[in-house]
Amino acid sequence: MSDYLWDKSGAVDPEVERLEQLLAPLAHRPSKPKPAWSFRPLLAVAAALVAIVGTAAALLYPIGTATQGALWAVEPLMGAPRVTGTAVETDGGSRARVELGVIGFVDLEPGSRLRLVRRTASEHRVALDAGTLHARIWAPPRLFVVDTPSAAAVDLGCAYTLRVEPGGGSLVEVTSGWVAFEAKGRESFIPAGAACRTHPEKGPGVPWYVDAPERLKSSIDGAANGDVTALAALLEAARARDGVTLWHLLRHGSEASRGTVYARLAALAPPPAGVTREGVLAGDRRQLDAWWDTLGLGEAGWWRLWRAAAPR
Amino acid sequence: MENVLEFPAALATADEPSGTPLVRAAQRGDPAAFDALYAQYARVVHGILLARVPRQETQDLVQDVFLQAWRNLHTLRDARAFPGWVAMIARNRATDWHRRAPLTVEVTERTAVQPPTPPEAVQVLETIRSLPEAYRETLLLRLVEGMSGPEIAERTGLTHDSVRVNLHRGMKMLREKLS
Repeated sequence: MSDYLWDKSGAVDPEVERLEQLLAPLAHRPSKPKPAWSFRPLLAVAAALVAIVGTAAALLYPIGTATQGALWAVEPLMGAPRVTGTAVETDGGSRARVELGVIGFVDLEPGSRLRLVRRTASEHRVALDAGTLHARIWAPPRLFVVDTPSAAAVDLGCAYTLRVEPGGGSLVEVTSGWVAFEAKGRESFIPAGAACRTHPEKGPGVPWYVDAPERLKSSIDGAANGDVTALAALLEAARARDGVTLWHLLRHGSEASRGTVYARLAALAPPPAGVTREGVLAGDRRQLDAWWDTLGLGEAGWWRLWRAAAPR
Repeated sequence: MENVLEFPAALATADEPSGTPLVRAAQRGDPAAFDALYAQYARVVHGILLARVPRQETQDLVQDVFLQAWRNLHTLRDARAFPGWVAMIARNRATDWHRRAPLTVEVTERTAVQPPTPPEAVQVLETIRSLPEAYRETLLLRLVEGMSGPEIAERTGLTHDSVRVNLHRGMKMLREKLS
């Protein structure tokens, strides 16, 4: 065997060299450092983009500052999305992909606006002012955060769809991994297969599995707001799998409702040793975490571990 | 300094893959370490996928593999086993793709505007894909991803001898098929 085939040393093997050159275009294309967000239009829409931004120079248009680094890029997926300042906007006929360096990407649906807030080694933070994004993130938990008008969606290593609704609320649906909604001192943890709303005044709501009974889903807002009838309907419809919903009601529901919720969750998923009714109703975090760990959703401690470990 | 990974070179020892300190750092929750692992192993993962699934699927699947790797990194007991471990995730993901792949592929604006690949390159790629699995994977890492034999050995967890044999026999078979 020629040395060239093994370690590229020695005399060049012409056939190997020809194949290398022929096949090179098929190789993996890593994200290359580029000035902040750069605009990388596809060839097919380049001409249209020139017309929109007015100058060909804008086709490679840095929209961050030097301190924000050089890893994000915007690529049109449909139509002609606009990059203005530190924001990416899609109109009714355009979609865009925002590549977040090596941590993942975000696809923007038509009618969306995404702003770069900051990017550091410990946090990539954007704001979704309007519209819908699909995020696929493989970075460590808590590295990628999306601010919405009503809460921050904190990626815990996952894929999800996030929509800002006209009233200022948000809806997240998680397809893989986990998302945490955080605002106003409240947190909600949404696992794969579940969804959750945030409210402009109250912050993160109570998550539910998308395959949950309709009666449960339609009763969530009422139950969280102390509506006794809605709470009864929700608890009656709840399956063992809906422990995630009941667990959040224990934390976010009205004080008066917690005893009822405790009883139903205990029937569906008996609390482990050391977890008492008194402790749970008093909001004992250690006991709530211990109960969570028995729900088959993964251990509660890991996201808190990440929060503690992540450099701020 | 932002986005610059720094760790003492002395942490890497002669009898373990050079990325092992990064694996340990990533297991402790260092995001920059995982970024660095991605940078080091993305070509290997891509090459493994390219040996098994259509080219237009590989970039997204690379991301899937690293997402899965990240989520399961805590289950990896021996950091030195990371190269073989991530390669196995890539192979399993390719198998899973075939199990779930739709019979037809939707042509979107994104897929439709991909730059054309030279017909001869496609033909050679298909020829390599027709070779036995061990040969096609090693050859793609060498000829497509531009990795050297020693680099392939380190990043896949294979021995130097295995990679040498795979390259030698694979190239011989490829020459015969192309001639």
